[in-house]
Amino acid sequence: MKPPADRGSLALGAYVYAVLAFIIVPLVIVIPMSFSQNDYLAFPPSGFTLKWYSEYFDSRQWRAATWLSVQVALLTALCASVIGTAATYAMIRGRSRLVTAFQILLIGPIIVPHIALAVGLYLFFQTIGLSGTIPGFVLAHTVLTLPFVVFTMAAALAKVDANLEAAAMSCGATRFQAFRLVTLPLVLPSLASSALFAFIISFDEPVVSFFLSGVRQKTLPRRMFEDIEQNLTPVIPAIATLLIVLSILILLGAHVLRSRSVTR
Amino acid sequence: MNIASATQSASGASIRISRLEKRFGAVSAVDGVDIDIAAGEFIALLGPSGSGKTTILMSVAGFEFPTSGSIHVDSEDVTYVPSNRRNLGMVFQNYTLFPHMSILDNVAFPLKMRGLRAAERHARAEAALATVRLAGYGHRRPNELSGGQQQRVALARAIVYQPRVLLMDEPLSALDKNLREDMQLEIKRLHAELGITVIFVTHDQSEALTMADRIAVLKDGKIQQIGPARQLYERPTNLFTAGFIGEMNFVGVTVESVGDNVSVTLPWGETWRLPATAAVEPVAAGEAAVLAVRPERLQLGAGSGGQVITVTLSDIVYAGAALLLIGRLPDGTEMRARIPGASQLCALAPGDVASFTVPVEAMLLYRGSRR
Amino acid sequence: MTEARRSHFWHSDGRRLSGLSTLLLLLPFFAIIAFVFVYPILQLLVISILEPHPTLENYARVVENPVHMRVLMRTLWTATLVTALSVVLGFPVAYYMSRAKGTVAALVAVCVILPLWSSVLVRTAAWSFLFQRNGLINSALMALGLTSQPFKLLYTQSAVVIAMTHVLLPFMILPIYGALRSIPDDYGRAAAVLGATRLRTFLEVILPLSLPGVVSGSLLVFLTALGFFITPALLGSPQEMMISTLVSKQIREVLDWPFAAALVGVLTVFVTLLAIIFSKTLRFDRLMGNAS
Repeated sequence: MKPPADRGSLALGAYVYAVLAFIIVPLVIVIPMSFSQNDYLAFPPSGFTLKWYSEYFDSRQWRAATWLSVQVALLTALCASVIGTAATYAMIRGRSRLVTAFQILLIGPIIVPHIALAVGLYLFFQTIGLSGTIPGFVLAHTVLTLPFVVFTMAAALAKVDANLEAAAMSCGATRFQAFRLVTLPLVLPSLASSALFAFIISFDEPVVSFFLSGVRQKTLPRRMFEDIEQNLTPVIPAIATLLIVLSILILLGAHVLRSRSVTR
Repeated sequence: MNIASATQSASGASIRISRLEKRFGAVSAVDGVDIDIAAGEFIALLGPSGSGKTTILMSVAGFEFPTSGSIHVDSEDVTYVPSNRRNLGMVFQNYTLFPHMSILDNVAFPLKMRGLRAAERHARAEAALATVRLAGYGHRRPNELSGGQQQRVALARAIVYQPRVLLMDEPLSALDKNLREDMQLEIKRLHAELGITVIFVTHDQSEALTMADRIAVLKDGKIQQIGPARQLYERPTNLFTAGFIGEMNFVGVTVESVGDNVSVTLPWGETWRLPATAAVEPVAAGEAAVLAVRPERLQLGAGSGGQVITVTLSDIVYAGAALLLIGRLPDGTEMRARIPGASQLCALAPGDVASFTVPVEAMLLYRGSRR
Repeated sequence: MTEARRSHFWHSDGRRLSGLSTLLLLLPFFAIIAFVFVYPILQLLVISILEPHPTLENYARVVENPVHMRVLMRTLWTATLVTALSVVLGFPVAYYMSRAKGTVAALVAVCVILPLWSSVLVRTAAWSFLFQRNGLINSALMALGLTSQPFKLLYTQSAVVIAMTHVLLPFMILPIYGALRSIPDDYGRAAAVLGATRLRTFLEVILPLSLPGVVSGSLLVFLTALGFFITPALLGSPQEMMISTLVSKQIREVLDWPFAAALVGVLTVFVTLLAIIFSKTLRFDRLMGNAS
């Protein structure tokens, strides 16, 4: 027997699904548009073609921008997860007054508007020649992704009993061996998922990339920005579709990693 | 290779803890502790939480560095030696098995750290598992074992490399009562078999009394008394130990005179003459003192060989082996008596006034006042 | 005493790292934050008060010029509107999400979290398709006979507000959801047993307990909205700039660095002050999509 549904719950449900539609429809709408034969982005889309995808893959400029973004995102994921994990480990197991300074500085990149950081880095990197270079992008994106790595790793490391490392050391392990053989394997799924998140944040990062991109070195978001601003061709829905698929894959990856760490 | 027979020749190490002090800011967690532990001895550190017992253990293990004082193991100063180079076995409160390793790899871990080859360390880990009666469990994961089994694995891991000292930090407190008693016997057996020196931290006095050769009672970072169980129970050296170990009745008295005998005035005006040996601490005429007596030493009914008290009973509790009588002395002080095999006394009812004899040799006299 | 402290600096005691290793592990973090975050922003602030000579006139230009004042006011108003819309749209979703179980819960969570991890550019581009003269919204309105000719939607402030609300909504939903989830079910049951109707239970127990989440989400949305760049730049009208688009224009077209630096200074100082005032309420760790 089902309890009687009351009008309040029904109204709440209807409202919630309307909001969810508002959230998800604009995202989903680009998918049919990417297969449309229309040269201009009219609605409803008509026909079916893969020509916008091949235009993207055949374009030297799009490929160069994508490759630059991939390199930057991979290096950012590496730098942010290593630096972030080291700092988080020090914060949780450490003994230093710097820990408070660390917590304050950590939320800086979240609070301070990206436009402020972008403009500041634009000026600074031009004077030292890092503007439009891979190291420049990686440094900037590492700063932006560090808080996310630290939050993920802090949650993971807090779940590892500090006495496990003590036990390893009482068994004769050095501090580093205790970390490498006991703590690291236990937080590895979280480390991998924080690297995934750092990758996607960097890969999709538009504002700092917008200001740091040079004439020749343009990241994918910067090139997309220009395309949307100037001519808005149907290549954009095709790229958007690919990016949505990438996001889904990353979230699935993170989900698998999380469920793996739960079964431990 | 049988681990027990292999280690029979290697006896435990002696430990000397001298003037140990540990301050956290203004708070002294350990305040000038001296303990000499003989090779092969089983010693328990007993005290309420915050008494400093765990800090002492952690200093011996190398997980705390003392503010001052020293720790010697077999005359080697280890005060600031890193824990991984102390060669001590340690069992923690919550098992602390490595969750991503099999049971066998957990037990073999100390041998791996000491550079043993895989075949040998697995053989020795199997042997250690056998000594804790878990042979054949090696391929399982820690989360597939019960709490008691996990703690036995932790024990096997702590003894697998034949350390001369085994440190245990409340190892049984996470287990339920029946398992705890099994494990107490298991640990006693291993201690006897291996001849290893054991330092055992607990807040459970019955655990300490049943297991340890000697018990150090701690309060506020200081040792209150150190000695074998019988001495602690029969003749506690101060009021804290008297109240902390077992049940005790206390009556505030005034000392009248001190000589071959000690005369004290009880709150209701009566004067008792006690043998001088009753005074555990030196007392002086005219000062307040506390008279202590264990509930099971009271005898029902007025008899000879002691003083007689009258108690107005408030509760009569049937507690299986004994009958617990709770009541008040004429001045209102609470008094408890445990009368063994006393089911025939069920005639007593709350409100009755009963007489008890307090044997002279059961009375202990301390300086100061209760509350 | 000194000996022990020294030994803690040089040696690990097993449970805590030594001071030295703590320092070494934190060093890369501090180096990169100092070099790539603190220094560039401080440099901008210094420029804003020292160039062309030590002066506050760059800031005076922000406040005294009515055009610039209107940009500031528009930015504040837009951020407020987006925050209000996000609360109205987001709270019921968060509430529903905290009650839902099984497949429904997973579905709602995906709808909230997937946009969070997809590109802001993708979401902004999607809105520019929808808002076009011949886009979905105008087509739908005309097909329903609600209008005979297409509305101008793209490059308006309404487009900016709608798209920003869409982009920032997950930042509102997740903190509220976190707060609602941390309310034990028994509180609601207790209130019900004590005779409260469902509405009263919600108003007097659930709502007050979820307020920290609402405040946290609102701050997050408001602070992010103040400095938002991509959406106003692509969907907004050049006549109705926001502070971030004005900064971009000053740098890329006018090349007036001191003035741009002053604009960034106003924005950064305002946002940082708000964050400091509300530092107790902000719970950034709730953002990592730990919703499922």
